[in-house]
Amino acid sequence: MENYPFSENSINSSIAFRSLVNATSYPGRTFQINKLNKPSVLSNAAATILITLCDNESNVYLSKEYNTDEVRNWLIFNTGAIISNKKNADFVIGTWKSLLPLNDFKIGVPEYPERSATLIIEETKYKKVKCNIDGPGIKNKLNIDLPNPELFIENNNLYPLGLDFYFTNDLEILSIPRSTKINIIKSEL
Amino acid sequence: MNEMSKNENLDIQIYNFAYLDENTKRMIRRALLKALCIPGYQVPFSSREMPMPYGWGTGGIQVTSACLIPKDILKVIDQGADDTTNAVSIRKFFQKTANVAVTEKTSDASLIQTRHRIPETKLKEKQILVYQVPIPEPLRFLEPRETETRKMHALSEYGLMYVKLYEDIAKHGHIETAYAYPVKTNGNYVTDPSPIPKFDNPKMNNSPAIQLFGAGREQRIYAIPPYTNVKSLDFEDYPFEAMKANFKCSICGSSDSYLDEIIVSDDGKRSYICSDTDYCKEQTKLNSKKED
Repeated sequence: MENYPFSENSINSSIAFRSLVNATSYPGRTFQINKLNKPSVLSNAAATILITLCDNESNVYLSKEYNTDEVRNWLIFNTGAIISNKKNADFVIGTWKSLLPLNDFKIGVPEYPERSATLIIEETKYKKVKCNIDGPGIKNKLNIDLPNPELFIENNNLYPLGLDFYFTNDLEILSIPRSTKINIIKSEL
Repeated sequence: MNEMSKNENLDIQIYNFAYLDENTKRMIRRALLKALCIPGYQVPFSSREMPMPYGWGTGGIQVTSACLIPKDILKVIDQGADDTTNAVSIRKFFQKTANVAVTEKTSDASLIQTRHRIPETKLKEKQILVYQVPIPEPLRFLEPRETETRKMHALSEYGLMYVKLYEDIAKHGHIETAYAYPVKTNGNYVTDPSPIPKFDNPKMNNSPAIQLFGAGREQRIYAIPPYTNVKSLDFEDYPFEAMKANFKCSICGSSDSYLDEIIVSDDGKRSYICSDTDYCKEQTKLNSKKED
């Protein structure tokens, strides 16, 4: 039993899902995820998203750092997910740099905007730009650091189509759904 | 009752936590998260048969089942009341299958499942309000074809809805719709708020709580995230008005809560009482404190 991702599947996954609901509902705020058994290269938060949401109907794209035997075997054994290319992926996992450009991922169609990719961005080693975010789930404008904010602005311009992002770092998760509006804070130059 | 179901521990082992199996929950959970990302858009999901008939909240109960955690404190209301058949049976269902704590107090609840009301007590951040929805498609009575209504949402083509509201005014002098009054969510999708009285519509706007909607028979899930603009449709010269019966509650005396009309005698004498039983209790308590 100790090798399963969750010690108590239905209980742990419900708690994990509540963190995801909170993160998605309140974009730009950090929420905590619990530890689980997972491949060392994945963060707890990213592994939790995959285990909680993926099944044999989910296409998962792994960027090159994550496309290892260990991750693939773990994911397929525990969820039955399908390892897919960028174009068909429902869930995408990778570092920010490895996932660019974002154009290949599906953004949904006007009749079915939910048929779009969910991107899980691992690590925080990207060039950070100070931004101000607003939109559904955000009470007062929030300041956060984002990589290439122009891409998030472009994504928001596609609304109600677009990509939904989760930033994962160890036990932390933060979401930027397509509905979030981004303003770049001009640095004092 | 047989011996088995008397033993609470055994009951919990018979069912998966909160009744639904993990695969179904995963499917519902994916739909819920996309619904939160696209406020007001109806996400199709493969609704399961539940141990209750359609129209009794099979959608709400599936959403609640996918969201519940062991630490939750659950409140269930039907038309604002905690003690009606629908509310009592759904509450018992989750006590039995998820062993969660329950409450009637709005402020103590972490998850509230509701049929046709929003509690009078202001909701807080991270509270989840799950609505039971009979007809999720606000355009359905105007256009019966799903292929057409889907296209209308895709094109934000809501002229038909405005014509309907206009015809109300032309016929009756005001907008007749009193419940399930259509709203526009995040400036984009026209959304059915479920058959809540239009008195409750303003409570949906910019609420700190998470609002999730489940329609079991129609197989749709949608959501209004916290702090989201929810505007009741209206015209500049006929602005939206939240209304209620112009009386006071005959139990607690409140004049600002939504009232139910009840007939109290054989000759048809009427009385008005709060539809929100928890709010009514709280107000009665406050009143008796003032008197002391």
